[in-house]
Amino acid sequence: MKKGTTKVLITGMATASLLLVGCAGQIDNTRGKATVYEDASTTGRVGGVGIESQDIVAITDQMMRDMLANRMLAGRDIPPRIIIDNEYMRNESSSVVNTNMLTDRLRIELNRASNGRMIFVGREYAGMVQQERDLKRDGAVDGGTIRSTAAQAGADYRLAGRITSLDASDRSDGTQSRYSQISFEMVDLELGTIVWSGLYEMRKAGRDDVVYR
Amino acid sequence: MFRTLMTVTVAGLILTGCNSLPADSTELAERTAPLEYNTVVFTDYNLSRTWNDGIRDAGRTYRLSVENHGQRPTETGTTEVFAVLRNHTDFDYRIEVRTQFFDDYGVPVDARPTWQRSTIPANSVSAYKTLSTSTQPLKYRIEVRELN
Repeated sequence: MKKGTTKVLITGMATASLLLVGCAGQIDNTRGKATVYEDASTTGRVGGVGIESQDIVAITDQMMRDMLANRMLAGRDIPPRIIIDNEYMRNESSSVVNTNMLTDRLRIELNRASNGRMIFVGREYAGMVQQERDLKRDGAVDGGTIRSTAAQAGADYRLAGRITSLDASDRSDGTQSRYSQISFEMVDLELGTIVWSGLYEMRKAGRDDVVYR
Repeated sequence: MFRTLMTVTVAGLILTGCNSLPADSTELAERTAPLEYNTVVFTDYNLSRTWNDGIRDAGRTYRLSVENHGQRPTETGTTEVFAVLRNHTDFDYRIEVRTQFFDDYGVPVDARPTWQRSTIPANSVSAYKTLSTSTQPLKYRIEVRELN
Protein backbone atom coordinates (compact mmCIF):
# COMPACT_ATOMS: atom_id res chain seq x y z
CA MET A 1 0.00 0.00 0.00
CA LYS A 2 1.25 3.38 -0.95
CA LYS A 3 2.00 5.95 1.70
CA GLY A 4 -0.52 8.50 0.22
CA THR A 5 -3.36 5.94 0.15
CA THR A 6 -2.75 5.03 3.81
CA LYS A 7 -2.92 8.67 4.75
CA VAL A 8 -6.27 9.12 3.00
CA LEU A 9 -7.70 5.98 4.63
CA ILE A 10 -6.65 7.05 8.11
CA THR A 11 -8.07 10.54 7.62
CA GLY A 12 -11.39 9.11 6.31
CA MET A 13 -11.77 6.74 9.24
CA ALA A 14 -10.99 9.48 11.74
CA THR A 15 -13.59 11.80 10.17
CA ALA A 16 -16.23 9.05 10.12
CA SER A 17 -15.65 8.17 13.76
CA LEU A 18 -15.83 11.85 14.72
CA LEU A 19 -19.13 12.18 12.89
CA LEU A 20 -20.51 9.07 14.62
CA VAL A 21 -19.41 10.32 18.02
CA GLY A 22 -21.10 13.61 17.21
CA CYS A 23 -24.43 11.85 16.63
CA ALA A 24 -24.54 10.04 19.94
CA GLY A 25 -26.45 11.55 22.88
CA GLN A 26 -26.48 15.24 22.00
CA ILE A 27 -27.77 17.79 24.48
CA ASP A 28 -30.11 20.22 22.74
CA ASN A 29 -29.39 23.29 24.82
CA THR A 30 -32.03 25.56 23.32
CA ARG A 31 -34.87 27.48 24.94
CA GLY A 32 -38.35 25.89 24.67
CA LYS A 33 -41.22 27.49 22.83
CA ALA A 34 -42.74 30.13 25.05
CA THR A 35 -46.46 30.17 25.77
CA VAL A 36 -48.10 33.04 23.95
CA TYR A 37 -51.32 34.91 24.66
CA GLU A 38 -53.79 35.05 21.79
CA ASP A 39 -56.80 37.25 21.13
CA ALA A 40 -59.83 35.28 22.34
CA SER A 41 -62.04 36.82 19.66
CA THR A 42 -60.00 35.61 16.68
CA THR A 43 -58.98 32.22 15.33
CA GLY A 44 -55.90 31.01 17.16
CA ARG A 45 -53.02 28.80 16.13
CA VAL A 46 -54.97 25.69 17.15
CA GLY A 47 -58.30 25.43 15.44
CA GLY A 48 -60.78 22.73 14.57
CA VAL A 49 -64.42 22.29 13.68
CA GLY A 50 -65.81 22.64 17.21
CA ILE A 51 -67.07 25.68 19.08
CA GLU A 52 -64.05 27.76 20.05
CA SER A 53 -63.30 30.95 21.96
CA GLN A 54 -63.88 33.24 18.98
CA ASP A 55 -67.28 31.61 18.46
CA ILE A 56 -68.31 32.05 22.09
CA VAL A 57 -67.30 35.73 21.97
CA ALA A 58 -69.07 36.31 18.64
CA ILE A 59 -72.24 34.45 19.65
CA THR A 60 -72.69 36.21 22.99
CA ASP A 61 -71.78 39.61 21.53
CA GLN A 62 -74.37 39.29 18.77
CA MET A 63 -77.10 38.11 21.16
CA MET A 64 -76.33 40.86 23.69
CA ARG A 65 -76.60 43.62 21.08
CA ASP A 66 -79.80 42.13 19.67
CA MET A 67 -81.47 41.88 23.09
CA LEU A 68 -80.64 45.50 23.86
CA ALA A 69 -82.44 46.57 20.67
CA ASN A 70 -85.58 44.63 21.62
CA ARG A 71 -88.36 46.87 22.98
CA MET A 72 -89.86 44.21 25.29
CA LEU A 73 -86.52 43.55 26.97
CA ALA A 74 -84.74 46.90 26.97
CA GLY A 75 -87.41 49.50 26.25
CA ARG A 76 -89.72 49.20 29.26
CA ASP A 77 -90.26 51.95 31.82
CA ILE A 78 -89.89 49.38 34.59
CA PRO A 79 -86.87 47.21 33.74
CA PRO A 80 -87.79 43.53 33.43
CA ARG A 81 -86.25 40.94 35.74
CA ILE A 82 -84.39 38.32 33.77
CA ILE A 83 -82.72 35.01 34.61
CA ILE A 84 -79.81 33.99 32.40
CA ASP A 85 -78.10 30.84 33.62
CA ASN A 86 -77.20 27.36 32.45
CA GLU A 87 -80.33 25.61 33.79
CA TYR A 88 -82.19 25.47 30.48
CA MET A 89 -79.26 25.65 28.08
CA ARG A 90 -78.68 22.24 26.51
CA ASN A 91 -75.78 20.99 24.45
CA GLU A 92 -77.11 18.36 22.02
CA SER A 93 -74.26 18.82 19.57
CA SER A 94 -71.11 16.79 18.98
CA SER A 95 -68.97 19.73 20.13
CA VAL A 96 -67.44 19.55 23.57
CA VAL A 97 -68.33 22.87 25.16
CA ASN A 98 -69.25 24.02 28.65
CA THR A 99 -72.49 25.91 28.10
CA ASN A 100 -71.79 27.99 31.21
CA MET A 101 -69.28 29.87 29.05
CA LEU A 102 -72.11 31.06 26.84
CA THR A 103 -74.60 31.96 29.57
CA ASP A 104 -72.04 33.51 31.92
CA ARG A 105 -70.54 35.75 29.25
CA LEU A 106 -73.97 36.73 27.95
CA ARG A 107 -75.29 37.63 31.42
CA ILE A 108 -72.20 39.55 32.47
CA GLU A 109 -71.84 41.52 29.23
CA LEU A 110 -75.58 42.28 29.20
CA ASN A 111 -75.55 43.37 32.84
CA ARG A 112 -72.65 45.73 32.18
CA ALA A 113 -74.02 47.12 28.91
CA SER A 114 -77.68 47.44 29.90
CA ASN A 115 -76.80 49.80 32.73
CA GLY A 116 -80.12 49.31 34.55
CA ARG A 117 -82.33 48.71 31.51
CA MET A 118 -82.57 45.07 32.58
CA ILE A 119 -82.39 43.58 36.08
CA PHE A 120 -80.77 40.17 36.43
CA VAL A 121 -81.95 37.68 39.01
CA GLY A 122 -79.25 35.37 40.33
CA ARG A 123 -81.41 32.28 40.72
CA GLU A 124 -78.25 30.17 40.76
CA TYR A 125 -77.40 31.87 44.06
CA ALA A 126 -80.90 31.54 45.61
CA GLY A 127 -79.64 29.11 48.27
CA MET A 128 -76.88 31.46 49.34
CA VAL A 129 -79.34 34.36 49.58
CA GLN A 130 -81.89 32.31 51.53
CA GLN A 131 -79.25 31.23 54.03
CA GLU A 132 -78.39 34.85 54.78
CA ARG A 133 -82.06 35.85 54.91
CA ASP A 134 -82.69 33.10 57.48
CA LEU A 135 -79.79 34.28 59.62
CA LYS A 136 -81.19 37.81 59.55
CA ARG A 137 -84.73 36.69 60.40
CA ASP A 138 -83.44 34.48 63.23
CA GLY A 139 -81.56 37.42 64.70
CA ALA A 140 -78.21 35.72 64.36
CA VAL A 141 -77.02 38.68 62.28
CA ASP A 142 -78.43 42.19 61.90
CA GLY A 143 -80.55 43.37 58.99
CA GLY A 144 -77.74 44.79 56.83
CA THR A 145 -77.77 48.33 55.47
CA ILE A 146 -79.87 48.22 52.31
CA ARG A 147 -83.45 47.07 52.97
CA SER A 148 -85.54 44.02 53.77
CA THR A 149 -88.03 42.46 51.39
CA ALA A 150 -90.86 39.97 51.87
CA ALA A 151 -89.25 37.51 49.49
CA GLN A 152 -86.50 37.09 46.93
CA ALA A 153 -87.08 38.65 43.50
CA GLY A 154 -89.34 36.84 41.09
CA ALA A 155 -88.36 36.91 37.43
CA ASP A 156 -90.28 38.01 34.34
CA TYR A 157 -88.19 36.20 31.75
CA ARG A 158 -85.71 33.33 31.60
CA LEU A 159 -83.27 32.37 28.88
CA ALA A 160 -83.41 28.91 27.35
CA GLY A 161 -81.41 27.54 24.46
CA ARG A 162 -79.92 24.63 22.62
CA ILE A 163 -76.77 23.75 20.69
CA THR A 164 -77.19 21.25 17.86
CA SER A 165 -74.85 20.08 15.12
CA LEU A 166 -74.63 18.10 11.91
CA ASP A 167 -71.35 16.37 11.07
CA ALA A 168 -69.98 15.15 7.76
CA SER A 169 -66.59 13.69 6.92
CA ASP A 170 -64.66 12.89 3.78
CA ARG A 171 -63.09 9.48 4.39
CA SER A 172 -60.63 9.83 1.52
CA ASP A 173 -58.64 12.66 3.10
CA GLY A 174 -59.99 12.88 6.65
CA THR A 175 -61.58 16.30 6.22
CA GLN A 176 -64.42 16.86 8.64
CA SER A 177 -67.20 19.40 8.39
CA ARG A 178 -69.55 20.51 11.17
CA TYR A 179 -72.61 22.71 10.93
CA SER A 180 -73.45 24.13 14.36
CA GLN A 181 -76.61 25.89 15.33
CA ILE A 182 -76.95 27.77 18.60
CA SER A 183 -80.44 28.98 19.51
CA PHE A 184 -81.52 31.27 22.33
CA GLU A 185 -85.08 32.05 23.44
CA MET A 186 -86.35 34.36 26.14
CA VAL A 187 -89.45 32.87 27.75
CA ASP A 188 -92.15 34.83 29.61
CA LEU A 189 -92.33 33.12 33.02
CA GLU A 190 -96.06 33.81 33.49
CA LEU A 191 -97.53 33.22 30.04
CA GLY A 192 -94.94 30.89 28.58
CA THR A 193 -94.66 32.96 25.43
CA ILE A 194 -91.33 33.57 23.72
CA VAL A 195 -90.62 37.29 23.62
CA TRP A 196 -87.23 37.20 21.89
CA SER A 197 -85.29 34.66 19.83
CA GLY A 198 -81.75 34.63 18.52
CA LEU A 199 -80.01 32.15 16.25
CA TYR A 200 -76.32 31.78 15.42
CA GLU A 201 -75.17 29.28 12.85
CA MET A 202 -71.82 28.37 11.34
CA ARG A 203 -70.15 25.62 9.37
CA LYS A 204 -66.50 24.77 9.76
CA ALA A 205 -64.35 22.31 7.83
CA GLY A 206 -60.87 21.02 8.50
CA ARG A 207 -58.70 18.03 9.24
CA ASP A 208 -59.85 16.42 12.46
CA ASP A 209 -56.58 16.71 14.35
CA VAL A 210 -57.66 19.00 17.19
CA VAL A 211 -58.79 17.60 20.53
CA TYR A 212 -61.23 19.63 22.65
CA ARG A 213 -61.35 19.13 26.40
CA MET B 1 -31.43 56.77 -31.76
CA PHE B 2 -32.35 59.52 -29.28
CA ARG B 3 -36.03 59.30 -30.26
CA THR B 4 -36.09 55.51 -29.77
CA LEU B 5 -34.44 55.85 -26.38
CA MET B 6 -37.00 58.47 -25.30
CA THR B 7 -39.91 56.31 -26.48
CA VAL B 8 -38.63 53.31 -24.56
CA THR B 9 -38.08 55.41 -21.43
CA VAL B 10 -41.57 56.96 -21.56
CA ALA B 11 -43.18 53.56 -22.17
CA GLY B 12 -41.24 52.14 -19.25
CA LEU B 13 -42.35 54.97 -16.98
CA ILE B 14 -45.98 54.57 -17.99
CA LEU B 15 -45.81 50.84 -17.35
CA THR B 16 -44.25 51.48 -13.95
CA GLY B 17 -47.09 53.88 -13.20
CA CYS B 18 -49.63 51.17 -14.07
CA ASN B 19 -48.07 48.62 -11.73
CA SER B 20 -50.00 47.85 -8.57
CA LEU B 21 -48.23 48.41 -5.29
CA PRO B 22 -48.22 45.28 -3.13
CA ALA B 23 -50.31 45.10 0.05
CA ASP B 24 -47.21 45.27 2.25
CA SER B 25 -45.91 48.45 0.59
CA THR B 26 -45.29 51.37 2.91
CA GLU B 27 -46.40 53.75 0.14
CA LEU B 28 -50.10 52.92 0.50
CA ALA B 29 -52.28 55.93 1.23
CA GLU B 30 -54.36 54.03 3.81
CA ARG B 31 -51.36 53.55 6.09
CA THR B 32 -51.07 57.24 6.87
CA ALA B 33 -54.64 58.40 6.24
CA PRO B 34 -56.13 60.36 9.16
CA LEU B 35 -58.69 58.53 11.30
CA GLU B 36 -62.18 59.27 10.02
CA TYR B 37 -65.55 58.55 11.59
CA ASN B 38 -68.77 57.26 10.03
CA THR B 39 -66.75 55.34 7.50
CA VAL B 40 -65.85 51.82 6.32
CA VAL B 41 -62.17 50.91 6.01
CA PHE B 42 -60.35 47.84 4.73
CA THR B 43 -57.70 47.06 7.32
CA ASP B 44 -56.53 44.19 5.10
CA TYR B 45 -54.85 45.92 2.15
CA ASN B 46 -55.14 42.76 0.07
CA LEU B 47 -58.82 43.58 -0.26
CA SER B 48 -58.45 47.22 -1.30
CA ARG B 49 -55.57 49.70 -1.47
CA THR B 50 -54.73 53.04 -3.03
CA TRP B 51 -51.53 54.98 -3.61
CA ASN B 52 -50.46 58.30 -5.05
CA ASP B 53 -46.96 57.82 -6.36
CA GLY B 54 -47.69 56.45 -9.83
CA ILE B 55 -46.81 58.35 -12.99
CA ARG B 56 -50.55 58.66 -13.63
CA ASP B 57 -53.18 59.72 -11.09
CA ALA B 58 -53.72 57.84 -7.85
CA GLY B 59 -53.71 54.10 -8.34
CA ARG B 60 -56.14 51.64 -6.84
CA THR B 61 -56.38 47.88 -6.62
CA TYR B 62 -59.41 46.26 -5.08
CA ARG B 63 -61.26 43.02 -4.70
CA LEU B 64 -64.06 44.29 -2.48
CA SER B 65 -65.67 47.72 -2.34
CA VAL B 66 -68.23 49.50 -0.19
CA GLU B 67 -71.51 50.17 -1.97
CA ASN B 68 -73.31 51.87 0.89
CA HIS B 69 -73.11 52.39 4.64
CA GLY B 70 -74.96 54.31 7.31
CA GLN B 71 -76.67 54.29 10.69
CA ARG B 72 -80.16 54.60 12.16
CA PRO B 73 -81.66 54.46 15.65
CA THR B 74 -83.45 51.35 16.90
CA GLU B 75 -86.73 51.46 18.82
CA THR B 76 -84.86 51.20 22.13
CA GLY B 77 -82.55 54.10 21.28
CA THR B 78 -79.43 52.10 20.42
CA THR B 79 -77.69 52.61 17.06
CA GLU B 80 -77.78 50.21 14.14
CA VAL B 81 -75.00 50.53 11.58
CA PHE B 82 -74.82 48.77 8.25
CA ALA B 83 -72.49 48.39 5.31
CA VAL B 84 -73.19 46.85 1.92
CA LEU B 85 -70.01 45.25 0.56
CA ARG B 86 -69.50 44.20 -3.05
CA ASN B 87 -67.26 41.38 -4.26
CA HIS B 88 -65.75 42.14 -7.67
CA THR B 89 -63.97 38.79 -8.04
CA ASP B 90 -65.00 35.37 -9.32
CA PHE B 91 -64.37 33.82 -5.90
CA ASP B 92 -66.35 33.77 -2.68
CA TYR B 93 -64.65 35.90 -0.04
CA ARG B 94 -64.77 35.06 3.66
CA ILE B 95 -64.32 38.20 5.69
CA GLU B 96 -64.35 39.46 9.26
CA VAL B 97 -66.03 42.76 10.08
CA ARG B 98 -66.26 44.77 13.29
CA THR B 99 -67.49 48.20 14.30
CA GLN B 100 -65.90 50.58 16.76
CA PHE B 101 -68.17 53.22 18.24
CA PHE B 102 -66.95 56.66 19.36
CA ASP B 103 -68.70 59.50 21.16
CA ASP B 104 -68.69 63.14 20.01
CA TYR B 105 -65.25 63.63 21.57
CA GLY B 106 -63.77 60.69 19.65
CA VAL B 107 -63.54 58.55 22.78
CA PRO B 108 -64.15 54.82 22.15
CA VAL B 109 -67.35 53.86 23.93
CA ASP B 110 -69.78 50.96 23.93
CA ALA B 111 -68.97 47.27 24.37
CA ARG B 112 -65.65 45.97 23.07
CA PRO B 113 -65.93 45.45 19.28
CA THR B 114 -66.01 41.84 18.14
CA TRP B 115 -65.17 40.41 14.72
CA GLN B 116 -68.17 38.97 12.91
CA ARG B 117 -67.52 36.44 10.19
CA SER B 118 -69.34 36.59 6.88
CA THR B 119 -69.07 35.43 3.27
CA ILE B 120 -69.56 37.57 0.19
CA PRO B 121 -70.43 35.39 -2.80
CA ALA B 122 -68.49 35.86 -6.03
CA ASN B 123 -69.56 38.94 -8.01
CA SER B 124 -72.29 39.65 -5.50
CA VAL B 125 -73.06 41.88 -2.53
CA SER B 126 -73.51 41.15 1.16
CA ALA B 127 -74.87 43.32 3.95
CA TYR B 128 -73.25 43.63 7.36
CA LYS B 129 -75.25 44.95 10.29
CA THR B 130 -74.51 45.46 13.93
CA LEU B 131 -75.98 47.26 16.91
CA SER B 132 -74.54 49.42 19.62
CA THR B 133 -75.32 48.73 23.26
CA SER B 134 -75.45 52.37 24.32
CA THR B 135 -78.31 54.81 23.72
CA GLN B 136 -76.09 57.88 23.32
CA PRO B 137 -75.40 59.39 19.86
CA LEU B 138 -72.40 57.62 18.36
CA LYS B 139 -69.99 57.78 15.46
CA TYR B 140 -68.84 54.53 13.87
CA ARG B 141 -65.86 53.07 12.10
CA ILE B 142 -66.44 49.73 10.35
CA GLU B 143 -63.31 47.63 9.74
CA VAL B 144 -63.12 44.82 7.17
CA ARG B 145 -60.43 42.17 6.76
CA GLU B 146 -60.11 38.79 5.11
CA LEU B 147 -60.76 35.76 7.33
CA ASN B 148 -57.55 33.83 7.92
